[in-house]
Amino acid sequence: MLSQAVRWLTEGRLASFSGGIRPPKQTQRTLRSRVMATPIPERLIMPLTIYRKQERLTPAVRIGEAVRKYQCLATHLQDPDLILHAPTSGMITAITRDVLEIQSDGLDQALILCGNTTEKITQADILQSIGRAGIVGQGGAGYPTVKKIRLAASAGVKVLIVNAAECEPFVCCDEALIREFADQVVKGAEYLMQASAADAGVIAIESDKHEAIAAIQEPLKASSLTLRLLAAKYPAGDERILIKSLTGQEIPDSANPAERGILVQNAGTAKAVFDAVKLGQPSISRIVTVAGAPLKTPKNFSALLGTPVSDLLSWCGFEHEGHSEEPSAHLQHTDHLKIIVGGPLTGRRADMFCESVQQTTTCVIATDKINFPASGPEHACIRCGFCAEACPVRLLPQQLLLHSRNFDEHNLNSHGLHSCIECGACAYVCPSKIPLVQHFRQSKEILRDSAAERSESQLRQARYRHWQTRQGRTARRQVKQAAEPERETPFSRENARSEIAEAVARVKEKKSGKRQ
Amino acid sequence: MNEHQPSIPAQLAAHRTADLMRQVILAAAPAALISTWYFGYGVVLNLLVAICFAYALEASALYVRRRPIQHHLADSSVLVTAMLFALSVPPGIPWWMIALGTGFAVLLAKQVFGGLGQNPFNPAMAGYLFLLLAFPLEMTAWHVSEAVIDPDSGHSVLGLASFCGQLELLFPGLIFSSFDIDGLVMATPLIESKLASKSALMSAWSEGRSLLARGSETGWEWINVAYLLGGLYLIIKRIITWHIPMSILTTVLGWSLFFYSPEQSAIVGTPYLHLFGSATMIGAFFIATDPVSAPTSNPARVVYGIIIGSCIYGVRVWGSYLDAIAIAVIFGNFLAPLLDHMLRPRIFGQISHSRAAPAPLGQASTENTAHE
Ligand code: SF4
Ligand code: SF4
Repeated sequence: MLSQAVRWLTEGRLASFSGGIRPPKQTQRTLRSRVMATPIPERLIMPLTIYRKQERLTPAVRIGEAVRKYQCLATHLQDPDLILHAPTSGMITAITRDVLEIQSDGLDQALILCGNTTEKITQADILQSIGRAGIVGQGGAGYPTVKKIRLAASAGVKVLIVNAAECEPFVCCDEALIREFADQVVKGAEYLMQASAADAGVIAIESDKHEAIAAIQEPLKASSLTLRLLAAKYPAGDERILIKSLTGQEIPDSANPAERGILVQNAGTAKAVFDAVKLGQPSISRIVTVAGAPLKTPKNFSALLGTPVSDLLSWCGFEHEGHSEEPSAHLQHTDHLKIIVGGPLTGRRADMFCESVQQTTTCVIATDKINFPASGPEHACIRCGFCAEACPVRLLPQQLLLHSRNFDEHNLNSHGLHSCIECGACAYVCPSKIPLVQHFRQSKEILRDSAAERSESQLRQARYRHWQTRQGRTARRQVKQAAEPERETPFSRENARSEIAEAVARVKEKKSGKRQ
Repeated sequence: MNEHQPSIPAQLAAHRTADLMRQVILAAAPAALISTWYFGYGVVLNLLVAICFAYALEASALYVRRRPIQHHLADSSVLVTAMLFALSVPPGIPWWMIALGTGFAVLLAKQVFGGLGQNPFNPAMAGYLFLLLAFPLEMTAWHVSEAVIDPDSGHSVLGLASFCGQLELLFPGLIFSSFDIDGLVMATPLIESKLASKSALMSAWSEGRSLLARGSETGWEWINVAYLLGGLYLIIKRIITWHIPMSILTTVLGWSLFFYSPEQSAIVGTPYLHLFGSATMIGAFFIATDPVSAPTSNPARVVYGIIIGSCIYGVRVWGSYLDAIAIAVIFGNFLAPLLDHMLRPRIFGQISHSRAAPAPLGQASTENTAHE
């Protein structure tokens, strides 16, 4: 299996997968300008929940406290790898359950970093640096990188894949990153290889990102990584689909890619790893694409974490009501204007004033009517099968829709709802404009709840049965004791053994009697 | 959990349902025009009557079911149903038969099951089959202008006289024989016609007759060619996939080649006749591909096509009905859910078929930690 995987990797073919869609890229306008460092925003909003809001950090600072750049703001009580740093200097103005707000002072006074300047960097050094920097995966859910590496390393990882495939329209932060920081990405990837003890390393880029491909050739020559080009299809950048494209292995949703010897890391993560190892710099910024038709100059920003989305938009020449001279003139304009955080297919609607840049924020899109028509009334499913053709994991979304509507648990399971990666390709192509993904998400949630409920009730039943037997035993013993108090013998192993042997003999007798 | 709720994948699909339906209509239009050219106004009149009834009945059904009428009519599916039905029934049947047929199609075969997307059977074919069973004689007789059969009769297919003749047939008693309708004769299509012995297109070609002249008996062939081209247009436009039409045509061709023998061609027909001498093309490209009642995965579609193709050939040759498209398609519809159930694609990452014990979702998703 693995030798096959390695062969696939070294062959220079365009890696692809079945299904998928090819939405227009719409990144040209954004890529015209180079990555720009943002000014220091007045206010930074640092979320205290990470990894899909499953983990909560505890603040290490108080309201009114002055903080300096790189200072630790919050940590996880049990897990020292989850940590949040101040992106700039300023004062803490608010701490709520979910967020921590910093009023920046504009001075950007930093703590002194100590990078690793030694020649020989060991695996432990790298892991420590990554952990201290609080790096989480920049591509998707934001799983702590150091944990992922440890998991993979303990499972014996063979291949490291650096994922630079952003297949969604508008999103081009990785492309810009590689175009302008190729050597740092490659170095970071090498650190990642070393940290996970992977045998081979691959950087996967979609074949239509010519500038990025050209930029990375040079640094790759001096490294042990190879470049693999992917077919420019959505969702080429999904972890499992990426592995399938590159190695031909299909990893089911119940397995972790690390168990199969494959570690996937985002290109942005690689850059953050470089910064952490080489400069000792915590993860305080990332590259974010800010795009959309209503913006005068869409571009990629190297934005501090915590930068409010509204600031990013206004730096791109977009004026919302708050900043405008005549608010009423813009109200109509903003009527249909929505902000999407993340790509147009997997992102979510967000409020531009509450939302801020996080390590997982790839893109902020200001929508327009043409590219994001209001979701019109939904028509009936005509079973055209376009969705099934588009599904990268070969599900039958039209059947899943049917079973989701009826909530047919058995059929949902047997049609593989759990394998759905929620990529939205099916909804994208559906001529009847059915929000398929929403249906699937809902059904998944219900299934999950009912599974949890079931396991809980099973537990309760087991407990009850246990209690019943214990009751029975006590009752029997009491009866016994009442009948023959003189034979009261303390519990001992020998007694128990002989009792058991007697019981077994009785059962045997009974059985043989039955047979005859 | 709220974080993942409001995500809405942008839906920028190239096709809308109504567009799809319109494309289907567009693709069938040339064939309808050619039918009119050869068989006279009956075709157009049938179309008009069927469309009017279908819309009226669909609207009233939606009203009764308290559904938004405009929204549902806007998907144009009823137009496609009416069109396919009207193109299948012979010209010259009275209006009430068309009304009955469309009524059966729209009300019983579609709305009763819950409207578009819910109907297990192709509505147009259900309506057709109903008429065929109820009025076998009328449904196999083609009242066409005499000019079609006999070019020297002095009647023009597209003349006023034949128009009034068709109108009279459609609405009996409407025009009290003030017009001469003798110009209309009855002809049964397909195998009984002169096409049976020899390909009319070929013979006309070799005899140097004009292929488009109405008397050249090439009508069916041109119509089939038009359907074939229309179908290819739909495939190129990616509105239908090639699986169903190709497997039907290949199956029909295969069987007819297998059983072909020159002495028996009057009974079993020639392969050419089977493909171009009857309604095979409209059946393969327009009727069997109705997505609602066909299976949805590609392997199932191929099997579906093979079943329909075999059924077409079998009923035609050994059955008592002349044309078997409706019977074959309805038969295929019966099997579609089963095919869909049995021939599912292998799900990503699963070793064998998905019927093998499904992973419980709750468990799977908790293990599924690393999404990068
Ligand atoms: S694409 Fe939409 S209409 Fe077509 S089968 Fe899938 S869900 Fe139904
Ligand atoms: S959202 Fe799920 S069902 Fe739809 S295409 Fe993606 S994986 Fe397939």
